[in-house]
Amino acid sequence: MILLVMVGTTLLVRFAPGYLSDAREMDARYAAVARAELSAEASHSITQMLRAELGGWMRGDSGVSREFNVPVWVLIRPRLAVSGRLLLRGIALAWALALCASLLSSAGRRPSLLWQAPAAILLAVPAAALATLCLLVNSGGPVLVMALLLAARDFKFLHRALRNAWLDPHVLQARAQGVRPRHLLRAHILPALLPQLGALASLSIVTALSALVPIEVIFNVPGLGELAWNAAINRDLPVLLAVTMIMAVGVTCASFGSHRTTAWREA
Amino acid sequence: MRVLRLTLLAFAALLLPMARTAAAQAAARRPGELVWTIGYDPKTFDPAKVDDQESETVRYLTAGVLLRFNRLTQQVEPELAQSWTVSPDGRTVRFTLRPGLEFSDGSSLTARDAVWSLRRVLLPATKAPVAEEFLAPGKVSVEAVNDRTVVVHLPQRVIGIGKVFDEIAIEPAGRPSEGRITSGPFFVSDYLRSQYVRLRRNPHFFRHDAAGHALPYASGIRLDILENTEQQIRLFLRGDYDLIDSLPPDYFALLAKRSPGSARDLGPSLNTEQMWFNQSPSSPLPDWEKSWFRSRAFRVAVSQAIHRDDLARIAYDGHATPAYSFISPANTVWYDRKLMAPHTDVAAAQAALAAAGFHRQGSVLLGPDGHPVRFSILTNTGNAARSKMATLIQQDLGALGMQVTVVTLDFPALIDRLMNTQNYEACLLGLENVDPDPNAMMNLWLSSSPNHQWSPSEKTPATPWEAEIDRLMNLQASTGSDTVRRQAVDRVQQIVADQQPFIYLVYPNLLVAVSPRLEGVEPAVLEPHLTWNADSLQLRGTP
Amino acid sequence: MSLRRGALWFLLCLVLAAAAALCRPNASYSYQNREATLAGTSWRYPAGTDDLGRDRMVRVAAALLLSLVGSVAAAAITTAAAAGVGSLAAFGPAAVGWSAMLLCDVFLALPWMFLLMMVRSALPLTTSPAHSAAVTFLVLAALGWPACARAVYRGAVAQRTSGWMLHARATGLHPAQMVRHLLPNLLPLLIPQFLVSIPAFVIAEANLGALGLGISEPLPSWGGMLYELNNSAMLLETRWVFFPLALLVVVLLALEGTAAEA
Repeated sequence: MILLVMVGTTLLVRFAPGYLSDAREMDARYAAVARAELSAEASHSITQMLRAELGGWMRGDSGVSREFNVPVWVLIRPRLAVSGRLLLRGIALAWALALCASLLSSAGRRPSLLWQAPAAILLAVPAAALATLCLLVNSGGPVLVMALLLAARDFKFLHRALRNAWLDPHVLQARAQGVRPRHLLRAHILPALLPQLGALASLSIVTALSALVPIEVIFNVPGLGELAWNAAINRDLPVLLAVTMIMAVGVTCASFGSHRTTAWREA
Repeated sequence: MRVLRLTLLAFAALLLPMARTAAAQAAARRPGELVWTIGYDPKTFDPAKVDDQESETVRYLTAGVLLRFNRLTQQVEPELAQSWTVSPDGRTVRFTLRPGLEFSDGSSLTARDAVWSLRRVLLPATKAPVAEEFLAPGKVSVEAVNDRTVVVHLPQRVIGIGKVFDEIAIEPAGRPSEGRITSGPFFVSDYLRSQYVRLRRNPHFFRHDAAGHALPYASGIRLDILENTEQQIRLFLRGDYDLIDSLPPDYFALLAKRSPGSARDLGPSLNTEQMWFNQSPSSPLPDWEKSWFRSRAFRVAVSQAIHRDDLARIAYDGHATPAYSFISPANTVWYDRKLMAPHTDVAAAQAALAAAGFHRQGSVLLGPDGHPVRFSILTNTGNAARSKMATLIQQDLGALGMQVTVVTLDFPALIDRLMNTQNYEACLLGLENVDPDPNAMMNLWLSSSPNHQWSPSEKTPATPWEAEIDRLMNLQASTGSDTVRRQAVDRVQQIVADQQPFIYLVYPNLLVAVSPRLEGVEPAVLEPHLTWNADSLQLRGTP
Repeated sequence: MSLRRGALWFLLCLVLAAAAALCRPNASYSYQNREATLAGTSWRYPAGTDDLGRDRMVRVAAALLLSLVGSVAAAAITTAAAAGVGSLAAFGPAAVGWSAMLLCDVFLALPWMFLLMMVRSALPLTTSPAHSAAVTFLVLAALGWPACARAVYRGAVAQRTSGWMLHARATGLHPAQMVRHLLPNLLPLLIPQFLVSIPAFVIAEANLGALGLGISEPLPSWGGMLYELNNSAMLLETRWVFFPLALLVVVLLALEGTAAEA
């Protein structure tokens, strides 16, 4: 599947308008150099390009950035750490928020609108708008925005799972017989959540990766999302390939993990 | 429920510290250090290979040059050279270096280093963009007559040869260091990709101020790599940045309100915003459309229908001046006060169109061929003022019965259409003029040039007036007489105003922000507007 | 009244209000009143004007109707496509199922932004804004089906092994006839997908506006109006800039309400 993604990305980027153009062409001082470089690139056919890119990846060489003329790995390595930290902190905070909120909302007799409304509102606001609002009120950073966005989605998931757990026949029986909620939580509700963690992780990772780009771009965080955005704008194929691959691998692992835990649960 | 209370406490405990985490901060400032932003990572630190804006920013601050083009007085001044002369035929240039010059590492700078640096720039293997300015770099020869004299022999006269040396850095012979060992006011000390470039003061810089203190005053400069304007302004207001070199018009009012006195409108810049129609014979447009765009009456009518005052007032919030020519009033040497150009006159536009065979059918204008006049204006995304201008023009031209669609594309796709496929009808873009001398615009006006936007790379001039423009521009490039040059350029301006190949819209004003703590700033209309005298800038309160 | 019914009624009222705003005499979403840019509330302009002097109320109403119609149509197309692909994958040979799901994953991982750019550049430049809006939503629909298809595939596989299906196959029912019975059983899965896709498409169109790939001027779109929010300077001028965002949140809440389980 990674191979297909690479081929697809290369084709899409190569044939997107503007691949063989450079802003320097408009500036008379630099136009000649730019045009020479572009005509050299235009002489490569698409099969040659594919072979060069894929061959490079087979050898472990991720290529040289078209925009910065440095090896792609040099660009990516520091950013991996930054994005990784942002994702981990965002997901951890999101899980904590979602867990607290869903515990409180599912325990009641009726579905609590008090908790559902903020979640629904957060789901409705686009990531970019939320990030801009945070910048404007001068508080809240990328971690908070990512956590809020993830928490809204995780909340829906957890709320449904917890609600089903509370309405399980044996739990209802225990409540009717007066067993304390705290004990029920510890012994029955929370353990019932464990198999769902795989699916929750998969959902969180997929949502986080898709929200990474607008958040990093607006808050100017030097991570993978910002690199991907700049690479897309500048048609920097090697960098875009590398970042797309990393994200595809992340999503694949997440969904693979979720399948494994589902299979384990159903076994 | 205790569970309820505990969970609520956990909630609050988690949220509060996160809420206080502000967005990305700027790094801590060193004492005496000036800080501002650049838009992206410089592509190279090698001064000979500079071919983009931010690399040039770093080069300007670090490179020691023989001659400096003073951005304020617009005169070429000796810098590392104590004096220079040009022979009457313009083919020999002689420099005498100052005595006692040193590089930032303490080694002495002699004519040998100057010759080595000049030869390196002229070498084809270096592929230095500035070599093109010599017209025939392969035939230029450089020699050191003695320790302090350099002679350059040119194969032919080059107009403005002094300014060319403003872009050639003198580096230690045989030791190119990518900006780390320089003879300029600063040298490159740190570079963290995507974060910042740090420059440190050159203790051996030759220049002293009037009182005898060594320049530069600042201990260093940090150039943060930041493109987001919102962030830039936020951090400027916090005092993290000392200046903003070019402010978009929508933010001017905000800055003026939050920090009165910091935001400055310096009047019209040298740049122009213009619209043009695709007149290229090889474009894939239908023939009847090409005939409209080639019709002078059509272009002039469009120009007369546009309300330039509204464009300046609404799209630029008043921070722009209506434009009628490619030379802005800020270009005091070349501006032609007596130019006669079409101003806003909708009735005249309608009459001219009618006379050219266009007629109205209800609210729609039909061409002489009977097709309704419908075309698109292409512009780039990310520029709010340009998109607003395009929408305003859409309504203006609607009054004539023309149906205009506004299409915004991202820059690479736009350039692809302009330069490669010529698949567009009208385009609205801006032109940045770094050099006030019209000679720098040769590539725009020569009909054979690929940058001759409305009809690139013509084998022979398509119309008599384009041929005339070619003749006049070639004349001004080869003559030594200032009067002849002036007359030729005035004539070109008049032809352009008559024929409207470019419909000039506005000259955007130069908007900058300067921190109240920054002293020594003398804004200039040429780039770099605020930091052309970086060696004389300092923060108040630093020794 | 259940949450779903309430939400549907609310949406209907919004749509009627928007239509009413558009039907006022002299209401135009494109006419620029250049003397009254960024005006505040007045009798003539209940929600003020934007930076080019256009009536904000009319623009927001037009954007609401355009986005809702476009998103509903796109969601319908996506759900239908996903249903087709998902059930084909579930009922075909195992290889077809496996390769269809692989295709879905690959689709999800590709940078779709370039496809949008390619489509935009392939369109003739003089496409009217209405046509470009239609094409935008069509392309969004074409990109949205993989996400749905997986869920439909899982549901169809579950149906394949369900009791009534085995019974039907055992009694010799032709596969083509089984499809006729399959679809109603898939509906409980498809309808929530459809209802969830609608807000997703509204947001996707809003995000496209920031990329410049959205709907061209002078047709108003939510994306274009949200783009105004990027500029903090604008927010100082007038609070009405928040109106499109507030309305978007309200509409999305209502749409979520329609998709909520009773």
